[in-house]
Amino acid sequence: MGQLILGQLLNGAILGTLYGIIALGVTLTFGITGIVNFALGAFMMLGCYMAWYFTDGLGMHYAVAVLCAVLVTSFAGLIADQTLFRFTRNNLVNGLLVSIGLISVMEGAALLIWTSTPKNMEYVLPGVFSFFGLVVPKMKAVVFLVLLGVILATYAALTRTWIGRAAYAYAQNPEAAELMGVRTKILQSGVVVYSTGLAGLGGALYASLYSIDPTLGAVYILKAVEAAILAGIGSVIGSLFGGILLGITEGVGSIYLPIAFRDAYGLIFLIAILLFKPAGLFAGRK
Amino acid sequence: MLAALALALLPLLIKSDFALTILVFSFLLGMLAVSFNLIFGYTGQLSMFHAAAFGISAYATHLSMSLLGTSFWIGLVLAALLVLFLSVIVGTICFRFRLKEFYFAVVTLAFSEMARLIILNWNSVTNGTLGIILQEKPRIWLPGQGIVKLDGTLMWYYVSLIGLALTLLVCWRLVNSWMGRSFAAIRLNDELGDTLGINVFRYKLAAFSVGNMIAAIAGGLYSFFLGSIEPGFLSIDQSLAIVAMVLLGGRGAVAAPFIGALVLTTLPHVIHLGAELRTIVYGSILIFTILVMPQGIYGSIAALTRRPPHAI
Amino acid sequence: MLFEISGLTKRFDGLTAVSDVSFSIAQGDIVGIFGPNGSGKTTLLSLIAGMLTPSTGRIVWKGKEIQGHKPHDIAAAGVVKTFQNPQLFSELTVFEHLMIAGHLMLKRRLGWRRIATLFNTDTGQAGGDLEARAREVLRLCRLEGSRDQTAGVLSYGEEKMLGVAMALMCEPQLLLLDEPASGLGQSEIDSLEIVLRDLRAHGMTLCIIDHKVGFLGKLADRAISLHHGAKIAEGTPAEVLSNEHVIAAYLGR
Repeated sequence: MGQLILGQLLNGAILGTLYGIIALGVTLTFGITGIVNFALGAFMMLGCYMAWYFTDGLGMHYAVAVLCAVLVTSFAGLIADQTLFRFTRNNLVNGLLVSIGLISVMEGAALLIWTSTPKNMEYVLPGVFSFFGLVVPKMKAVVFLVLLGVILATYAALTRTWIGRAAYAYAQNPEAAELMGVRTKILQSGVVVYSTGLAGLGGALYASLYSIDPTLGAVYILKAVEAAILAGIGSVIGSLFGGILLGITEGVGSIYLPIAFRDAYGLIFLIAILLFKPAGLFAGRK
Repeated sequence: MLAALALALLPLLIKSDFALTILVFSFLLGMLAVSFNLIFGYTGQLSMFHAAAFGISAYATHLSMSLLGTSFWIGLVLAALLVLFLSVIVGTICFRFRLKEFYFAVVTLAFSEMARLIILNWNSVTNGTLGIILQEKPRIWLPGQGIVKLDGTLMWYYVSLIGLALTLLVCWRLVNSWMGRSFAAIRLNDELGDTLGINVFRYKLAAFSVGNMIAAIAGGLYSFFLGSIEPGFLSIDQSLAIVAMVLLGGRGAVAAPFIGALVLTTLPHVIHLGAELRTIVYGSILIFTILVMPQGIYGSIAALTRRPPHAI
Repeated sequence: MLFEISGLTKRFDGLTAVSDVSFSIAQGDIVGIFGPNGSGKTTLLSLIAGMLTPSTGRIVWKGKEIQGHKPHDIAAAGVVKTFQNPQLFSELTVFEHLMIAGHLMLKRRLGWRRIATLFNTDTGQAGGDLEARAREVLRLCRLEGSRDQTAGVLSYGEEKMLGVAMALMCEPQLLLLDEPASGLGQSEIDSLEIVLRDLRAHGMTLCIIDHKVGFLGKLADRAISLHHGAKIAEGTPAEVLSNEHVIAAYLGR
């Protein structure tokens, strides 16, 4: 029993970093452009298919394929930003609905190109680590570490570099930041594109672990939004913890309660947090 | 008025069962869109609970008939009362805690997802993913014929038309009353409304509850016309389809969302597309409407026909 | 006393915006509250109107404690506040603003019978009263000319006047005005003064805050001066303005 719980804890944490990387995009986009980009789930799906196509289709090395997948997703993000999101800055409802329209377009296109039959990538890194009777597939450990590294690096960049400080200044007080010379438009587009890149990375890594289909983004964006709100929108490091907390709760919860209800935990969390601690668990620790 | 008369006489011209069926669906979804606009367009609250009200009522109407042995109409009333009860609970939680905009949307979405998960997994009662086939037909009283089964497209055409007409009447009365003025105050500046003595909580709850109850009635009728219920009635996609109807039709007039419902219901049957292309077209319409035509079809036509305000 | 506050204090994380303020207002008075910017005047009005909850202290209106009540309850009880920066319903006309602000009138006239008016087309006598009152308020506030203009095209002075007009539609017994004269030209200030004197002549009690001494000095029966959230002087405007603490506060010493 102890091992089962420990195993689920680990699994939950790994899944949680996936929620976390998308949640990070949600948080950043919201902080800088004032909209919630629900299409990040669709960008994650795009990242999945790109990684699959570049490795299994074109025979690239997986690491190169991941890099290319991130580039393609970011480029798609740039196009979406310039043609759509540019017009919905700070308009929450319109931004929400445009991003939802974009999901339909991207999912429909993916269904046309790749059909609804799930795809499975060849094993990238077979084998497992085992310690104390626990078994963790090597690939899962790699995915976990890469995502963790990227989130922490983003956090470091935001707190320690000039760009990060500009972004923070803007999120706190847009007008003052603009007067101080922050190039608003570039900053906003940059954040939208970076967020789609993060989603693409999450997707590209996801593809090495699970089978992929065109609708997988919907689940992940919901979980990511839950994680972001759980942490308190605007908290970078919180999105990681929010994601992991959600992943672990789902993992451990499914041991004791019917698995059918695992999607409900996040919802209950979400309602409780918004009612009783609306600034989120990590409020004030920006 | 003229439009209503035209719709009432339309079946004399159109004999195609297929076309009438599409119109029945448009009327029922029109009820849903028009009632949603009461919450979204007039009171300014982006609710994601509307599809849940629609779906819960569809299940509740059926369960009331099969478990309690009531007639369809009693079942429909009970279902609407159940939805009223749920709306008051969900609305009280959201509005007491002053959830606005995105947070209101997310929490109502969470509640409807929970309702969907319960329905999806309560197999013994709801038959889970498979849904339920409804074979019974509601009975109505017709002058000269007594009580008859509500069967055949023509009868459904008039029942759903009356449903839509009543919905329009109720919403029109509300938004043009003192209560509608309170809705507008909440949408435009709720802080100011509060200092002017408007109980923001009460009128938000009123709009939410009335809107959801109309959706409940539409849900009961829709499921029995369709002949089946499934958990997809409560899905996020269904909620978004309602939002799309309202945006496409327009928010600025009581009847405008019906235009959106009509277009989005008819379109797939007029232009034959695969499911994938249909999704793409649907998403593109949503984006196009928001970015290029934010006033919707109604608003754009109104802007064209209205003389410019300062023209001599 | 019509209205009385005692020991009213409001703290925001470490900052005390209003500190142990007590005073009372008699029926029919015009009370002016002076103080430089940041002296806690606006916070004080927000506490009275229910937009903020006091940390400690009591606010008594007609013998009942109202501190911490909701703004709409306080407005319904007869205490109505205007905003320093006019708050409006952007896309509506002036007349529509007044109809919305007539909410309390209908509520007082009809009570729960308002629900019945949703089903028949006629609001009867009360509906007629409401429109008559709106016309009266338009005339009083000199807004007849902009009756059907949308709020977006009004001048700043008209916007502020519309704020007062909406408050008047609530039939207040105590009207709280947050810097009504700020940002207005001299002719607009003059007509504002006439309007406010008119209101007093109709028996209304007014509490006005302003950092401009001249306007309030002429109008107020009694004056109170705030500095750093605390009351430093009270009396006739002339007494308060010659008080050495008040002069020191204004000169920033």
